[in-house]
Amino acid sequence: MFTAAGFEKTFAYIELFKQGLVCTISLSVLTVLFGFILALILAVMRLSDVCPFRYLALTRDGHLREQGFLATLSRFNPIRFIATVYVEVFRATPMLVQLFIIYYVVFDGVDLPSFKLFGFIRFDRFLPGVVALALNSGAYLSEIIRAGIQSIDGGQTEAARSLGLSQMQNMRFIILPQAIKNILPPIANEFVTIIKESSICYTIGVQEIMYAVTSIKGATYRIAEPLVIATLVYFCLTFPTSKIIAYFERRMSRGDKR
Amino acid sequence: MATRDSLIQVKDLKKHYNRGAIKALDGVTVNIDQGDVMVVIGPSGSGKSTFLRSLNLLEQPTGGSIIFDGVDITKKKIRNEAGKMVKLDIDQHRQKMGMVFQHFNLFPHLTIMDNMTLAPIQVKHMGKEEAEKKALALLRRVGLEDRAGAYPIQLSGGQKQRIAIVRALMMEPEVMLFDEPTSALDPEMVGEVLEVMKELAQEGMTMVVVTHEMGFAREVGNRVLFMADGKLLEQGSPEEIFGNPQHPRLQDFLSKVL
Repeated sequence: MFTAAGFEKTFAYIELFKQGLVCTISLSVLTVLFGFILALILAVMRLSDVCPFRYLALTRDGHLREQGFLATLSRFNPIRFIATVYVEVFRATPMLVQLFIIYYVVFDGVDLPSFKLFGFIRFDRFLPGVVALALNSGAYLSEIIRAGIQSIDGGQTEAARSLGLSQMQNMRFIILPQAIKNILPPIANEFVTIIKESSICYTIGVQEIMYAVTSIKGATYRIAEPLVIATLVYFCLTFPTSKIIAYFERRMSRGDKR
Repeated sequence: MATRDSLIQVKDLKKHYNRGAIKALDGVTVNIDQGDVMVVIGPSGSGKSTFLRSLNLLEQPTGGSIIFDGVDITKKKIRNEAGKMVKLDIDQHRQKMGMVFQHFNLFPHLTIMDNMTLAPIQVKHMGKEEAEKKALALLRRVGLEDRAGAYPIQLSGGQKQRIAIVRALMMEPEVMLFDEPTSALDPEMVGEVLEVMKELAQEGMTMVVVTHEMGFAREVGNRVLFMADGKLLEQGSPEEIFGNPQHPRLQDFLSKVL
């Protein structure tokens, strides 16, 4: 299974692992960045209160209708509907399928410039990889943000509104400052997940760590040794990250027990 | 349209859930006059809290009207002085109604001082210095000026509720609504909160109080409402309600709580 000669052969290609590491990290960082922006937009959409048919809810004397088709229609929020459909579709389909659709279908007709990032990462494969990962993690991150906001006790909003604060002021001064504490740790954990998930991008030829493994396999006919090294690299990347997150999580929750 | 005889006129107020299957409020009509200390009593599930929360539209009524300062606040749109239909600014009306909750609903991420000054500064555009001066004066009144820099979690339940009362007073409301303000308190802390409310009543503040404290109802209230099953079954002076109850439901209720 493992042989000293196998490791020796593998180490001859250690440069590929270094490149893979750089690629995995840039892939993950960009994914979290764009995924977070997308998630913010999705969360705002899902929590929005845009009902274009709201006027149908009022009877002629200005009271709320209790039932009927018009009451249902008046509560329809197209913005929330679109965001919900997006999130549900991306969470309910395999990452690999999404990646292939983005790379082989969506970017099929797009003529991407074929320069190389850092001199080795092929941009025309890297970009679809980032797009697919960001679209996917955006769906998950938006659920984290939404849950964080909704986890704040309704009494807070009631108190704020009864003091005369508007909905926006309530969000800005009362809800978000409290929600951010709940949101940050799971977002950091999602970052760890993305580091691991990004390995899927080797299937479209993004030169991250798993791509290095398959390359070395092809060159040396060894699989066990490159895999062991890849495992170690991933572990050294994710384990300290999650430990650092746990440390900050503890520090933040200490604030609650003042 | 402006009828000035009563501060708040509630007419046939209804709140139905589940398409009318549940009637939390089933046609409540009552006038609240300037300086009234109106105590609402009744068994749990009788609609007392729903009634109180409807007054500042934390619950949207499904029927009836609430005329506050000459404006029907249950309407989404009202006719302004110029005779044009304009959107009702509910935030503006909520400022004039202070509300105190069973679970205090202080903002845990803000100091006591910031809890009190946030709304005056953001909503009334009061200067920071002026707001803090005012807050200190109010804190002195309830004997808590030394806790201005503390966070809510550092306070006892009774202290929290006293802060919640003065936080509402910061907005100089025309009426104060109390939703079971002592129900979540340890017994030894009930007195200190009732004392503050009593002082407030003696100063002539208009108050609507939902409570189980019959002693308070008898001693401080000038009118007592008895509600059951979403209906206002009996109202009168404390002497009439406690001394000579008419409705069998009220007699039954009093025999259980007194």
